[in-house]
Amino acid sequence: MTKTPYAELLAMLSRHRGVVGSFVVSERDGLAVDSNVQIGVHAEAVAALAASLHRKARLACGAAGCGVVTFLRLDAEKGGICAAGRDDLVLVTISEARANIGLLRVEMMRAAKALT
Amino acid sequence: MKFIDDSRVRIAVLLESSGRVLAQHGFTRSVDVMSACALAAAIHASAAEIGRQLDGTPFTTLHHAGHERQIFLGELSTGKGAHILLTVFDDATSIGLVRLYFAELSRRLAGAAAGMAAAPPTFADFESDLNRNLAKLFGRI
Repeated sequence: MTKTPYAELLAMLSRHRGVVGSFVVSERDGLAVDSNVQIGVHAEAVAALAASLHRKARLACGAAGCGVVTFLRLDAEKGGICAAGRDDLVLVTISEARANIGLLRVEMMRAAKALT
Repeated sequence: MKFIDDSRVRIAVLLESSGRVLAQHGFTRSVDVMSACALAAAIHASAAEIGRQLDGTPFTTLHHAGHERQIFLGELSTGKGAHILLTVFDDATSIGLVRLYFAELSRRLAGAAAGMAAAPPTFADFESDLNRNLAKLFGRI
């Protein structure tokens, strides 16, 4: 199978402690362009729902006059989801509670700039 | 209704592979429903045959994206044979979400149909449905 241009980027994010999956998702379609996930992660479901979440956040920020969404973080009981978008592409990570979100955020913001 | 609420599709029609309507949401005129079902059944049959010829197995889902609206056509396997779900949606949702909730609907239907014996449609049903649909189509009802 041919590697996509995002394979290295996703592998780098997935090496972070506590990260169980990372994706590049098309916001318009809700389909994963590429993913690097551990066994047991429902990649298609997370990709579709995270893309929808990012789209709604972008629309909400636009309506509120806050400008463009740069980073989205959703905390849950056992972990969380982070998303950073550029144009139609959204970089999404799923992490456990033990993940270093600050470091992950820096890496995701940097990686999102490389999305084309 | 759960599928429609979750996936936020504008139109959804559940039909048999013969084109007979089982349920619909979003259409206001019965003629539109019948036309859509006839076309959906034909598209599904064509796609399945292309899949058989190319891949050895029938293609079971199909997606067309227009400028504003998109259609998704998928086969649902139940204890009563294969059914087809035709959906029309716009930018309120995405193909990823529609596929996600379609897979969930498919699992629920398969679970609900487990244990039910498949009963072939009878000629009496077919004839009465055909007569009713023709009468509707030509305005006699």
